[in-house]
Amino acid sequence: METLLKEWYDKIKEAQSVDSLEDIRICVFGKKGVLATEFAKMKTAPNEEKSKIAKDLNTHKSSLMNEMTSRKITLQTQELKEAMKAEAIDVSMFSVSSEAGALHPVMETMDRIVEYFSAMNFAVKTGNMVEDDFNNFEALNLPKYHPARDMQDTFYFKDELLLRTHTSPVQIRTMMNNKPPIRMIAPGAVFRRDYDLTHTPMFHQVEGLLVDEEGKVSFANLKYILEDFLKYMFGEVEVRFRPSFFPFTEPSAEVDISCVFCKGKGCRVCSKTGWLEVLGCGIVDPNVFEAVKYKNVSGYAFGLGVERFAMLIHHIGDLRSLFEGDIKLLEQFQ
Amino acid sequence: MIVTRSWLNEWIDLSDITTEDLAKTFNAIGLEVDRIHSYEIPKKIIVGKVLECEKHPDADKLNVCKVDIGTSIRQIVCGASNVREGLNVVVATIGAVMPNGTVIKPVKLRGVESEGMICSASEIGIEDCQSGIMELDKSVGKYKLGQEVCTLPTFADDLIEIELTANRGDCLSIRGVARDLSAAYDRPIKETNINEDEDKRVGIGRILSLSYENGLDVNLRYRAVDLKDLSLPFIVRLRLAQIEDSRETDIEALMLYVTHSSGVILRAYNYDFFCADNESMAKVELKKDDNGYASISSSKKASTVGIIQEDISKVTYAQGKVLLEASYIPPDIISKKMQESKIESGPMYYRTSRGSEPELNQGLNFCLNLIESNSKSSVFGGSIDLCDSYEDKIVTVTKKEIDEIIGAKINKVKITKILRNLGFGTTKSSSENFVISVPRFRHDISHKQDIVEEIVRLVGIDNIASKPFIFSESSKLEDDYFAYKKRSIYRHKAAHSGFFENVAFVFDEKKVLNGYGFNTTKEELELLNPIVNTFDTLRPTLMTGLLKAASQNIKNGISSVRLFEVGSVFNPTREESLKMAFLFSGDTQKENLANAGKPPKVDFNLFTQKISDVIGEFELRQYETSHSLSHVYQCAELLQNGEIIGELFRVHPSVEDSYGLEATYMCELDFVKLSYGLKVAKKSSKYQASFRDLSIIMPEAMSYEKVKAVIQASASEELIRFYPVDKYSDESLGENMSLSIRFVLQSFEKTLEEDNITSSMDAILESLNSELGIGLR
Repeated sequence: METLLKEWYDKIKEAQSVDSLEDIRICVFGKKGVLATEFAKMKTAPNEEKSKIAKDLNTHKSSLMNEMTSRKITLQTQELKEAMKAEAIDVSMFSVSSEAGALHPVMETMDRIVEYFSAMNFAVKTGNMVEDDFNNFEALNLPKYHPARDMQDTFYFKDELLLRTHTSPVQIRTMMNNKPPIRMIAPGAVFRRDYDLTHTPMFHQVEGLLVDEEGKVSFANLKYILEDFLKYMFGEVEVRFRPSFFPFTEPSAEVDISCVFCKGKGCRVCSKTGWLEVLGCGIVDPNVFEAVKYKNVSGYAFGLGVERFAMLIHHIGDLRSLFEGDIKLLEQFQ
Repeated sequence: MIVTRSWLNEWIDLSDITTEDLAKTFNAIGLEVDRIHSYEIPKKIIVGKVLECEKHPDADKLNVCKVDIGTSIRQIVCGASNVREGLNVVVATIGAVMPNGTVIKPVKLRGVESEGMICSASEIGIEDCQSGIMELDKSVGKYKLGQEVCTLPTFADDLIEIELTANRGDCLSIRGVARDLSAAYDRPIKETNINEDEDKRVGIGRILSLSYENGLDVNLRYRAVDLKDLSLPFIVRLRLAQIEDSRETDIEALMLYVTHSSGVILRAYNYDFFCADNESMAKVELKKDDNGYASISSSKKASTVGIIQEDISKVTYAQGKVLLEASYIPPDIISKKMQESKIESGPMYYRTSRGSEPELNQGLNFCLNLIESNSKSSVFGGSIDLCDSYEDKIVTVTKKEIDEIIGAKINKVKITKILRNLGFGTTKSSSENFVISVPRFRHDISHKQDIVEEIVRLVGIDNIASKPFIFSESSKLEDDYFAYKKRSIYRHKAAHSGFFENVAFVFDEKKVLNGYGFNTTKEELELLNPIVNTFDTLRPTLMTGLLKAASQNIKNGISSVRLFEVGSVFNPTREESLKMAFLFSGDTQKENLANAGKPPKVDFNLFTQKISDVIGEFELRQYETSHSLSHVYQCAELLQNGEIIGELFRVHPSVEDSYGLEATYMCELDFVKLSYGLKVAKKSSKYQASFRDLSIIMPEAMSYEKVKAVIQASASEELIRFYPVDKYSDESLGENMSLSIRFVLQSFEKTLEEDNITSSMDAILESLNSELGIGLR
């Protein structure tokens, strides 16, 4: 019996596939298998030997079973390995780039700006691009003969309407239609009659306005929100306020950030000054409030060019390329 | 506005302040620094004196000079035509390295030894202010022979160009800038005191009379001088070159210098121009000209006050009587007038319109003083004036208001100091109340906010601590915000579905648009001053812009062009509306292993699929566009929830051709009609859905739309969806085709049984047969 079983131990060890192992299993454990035959022999064995034979056979049965299982696992693992090997591919051939589209960097920048001010509870207000003289100029303390009108070369229509030169008319209309307090931003396209390397006849602005009771809104408040906003947009930059002049604000200031390219050391982009001008702002001029018939109020206002922000944030050099639908530029923003 | 340190120093002492600090101060007080230039004169360039000057024996154009350079006398050959005995000159001595890199060495020029070079202005790196060599005079300041030029402040100067804001006409002069600095540094302005020796002079009244119309809003002051041997000081030449301005005659150059220094608008007139024949007395007449401007004339017009001078009244001679005029017009009056009836203007108009210095005497005296000290001229005594009585504007503001607007407490003494140094008069009616008189040169100040601005800029914004604005109010998330948000959501969806966002100008070309059958802005509402011909109207569609961008991208080698834009368009009455448009042209994927380098091209099915990825489910209906951009037989109107929201089509092959495009598909939608808002979930059935396919034989020419309508009308409520899945035609079918339609049936009550399904399908077939005469294969 020992010799006979020894042979099957060897066969299990030598089996080369799960299938041949299954054949062996049938030969050993099957109804007419070797073990069954051996157990059947017990009937004829002397009684005193029966229990020993049964014990031996059971020991063999379980150790054969163990051999079987372990060989099966080995073979299965091997076969799976080979099956996978047959599925081998050269992964280096697959370097996939996205098939998705992308948002325009200017619009995406505008979204980020809107996101900030929405979180600060500024209403988003929009208006028409075709405007009249009163809302675009007159109400903003820019009477017809004002020299500052030179700064904003305007597109006019034959009926004396015009394309808005800034989004400030949205603020005027909002004030005329609402009572203070006001807290709003006006994002949108604006137009100036200028077309060269650094100017396009259309560009985008976000302007902001906050109006509340007289004595409540201060320059310090304006400083606070703009410093916070610029850090949100540009990260840890230094912010500098320079007194300036705008007809619709008084006091007025221009706001610079430390150059994002050279960290303030001075480079070509910042004309060696270490600073980049990014915003205009100020306390709303009383003449503006007078134009919209607001009394006993105070407020601040600010405005920025979205293209300029986008160009500084994304290091885009050419302003005009932004208006060409150039997929080579756009796909970098996937 | 260009200033230099040495020039400013004549009005305010800045000797202890570095140029860097000065620039920082300028920026801080709102005078933005545009450019700083430091003149660096090389070493070994010194002051010398020409003792002798003789013609070179062998060269006509050369002179051999003996030059005293303090420590010794040198022989120098000089080619300048203005070199002469007695001149004080600038000499580059042996070893000097000139700005252009040349090293000065002893040389022989046509056989004559030369030990150095007598220099012109450009040779030492300063502005070319004098033809030939520089002729130094007392205006340069004190110097010794042999002294290095780089130690003279006139030469080793720093130039600062300031960008002035439109309201600061008062800073269009050195004196005005100095006044702002006086407030910034809290130190006084140097005012020049001029002693008038009136007794010895012939009064101006003997040679000039002035007649005038009333109500002309101008201030004038006349002085007269008998001009003789005027030599323009070197410093005047140099500084005019530094400010990049010049005048044809010396007297005009001098007046320009005075204007830039003092801010007062000055003119010189030919005295004889005002004298009628055989009259020795000049008569100046001030009256309104044809355009309503204040003008000066005798028999002919001499000038328009503050705007332009006629050539015939200009001084073209070096000897003889000259009439000097100082003028001031309130800037708002002149700008308004210019707006109403525009006339040609001269070089002084800019200053006049921005607000020149109203203190006329100050400029005139400065000018006459310069003339007297640089010529043998005699000045006539007294002046003839026409001045309005001006009362300073009064602005009152309380300490509390100042603090509230700024948001910080500002020291009272500091406020008073700042305002006084800026030239404002201040009195305190009470300890907390400022009564401020505004000087005339600050025409830009009229409200308390203006006063606060002055304080803010001189205190320095950087010195004001930031404070959050505290509010208690409801959320500002309202209509326009949702519109913006909707736009943002659709833009994101489009980008995720493979489209790139395009931003185009709202301008387009009328001719092209009309050619495609688009209606553009009505003629009477059209743009008056387009920037270029190709942008001569407002766009009525986004599609032409997308086609242009697509065409450009194809030229740039992009093989799959997928673009979208959300933007404003305008109808003929110029009403603005928002559209969203898409364009898809060329490959649907990048080239890769899977598509064997030949990606499929976009087709109608894929394009509609992409659009639906962005806007959700929609229906298409056969349609004819009002424009000719579209393919005649691949064109649809697009409906969502039964409403027409736009059009979708393949581009007309000839349009594709003209833009250099392969098969291109476009879609334009009314953005407001796109749904936005919270979705409502439909109830869904828990029971199994059943599918049935019917193959219907129908004429090829029959529109599926009709079939659809009949099915919809006859369907039982269990039919939840149906759609075509296969189309087949062959010769045996003739004019007909076989269309397989898949029906999805489902009930809310139970799993449908065969009987239910069959009866539903039968009802549909019956209607198709009775209404359209079509049926199963």
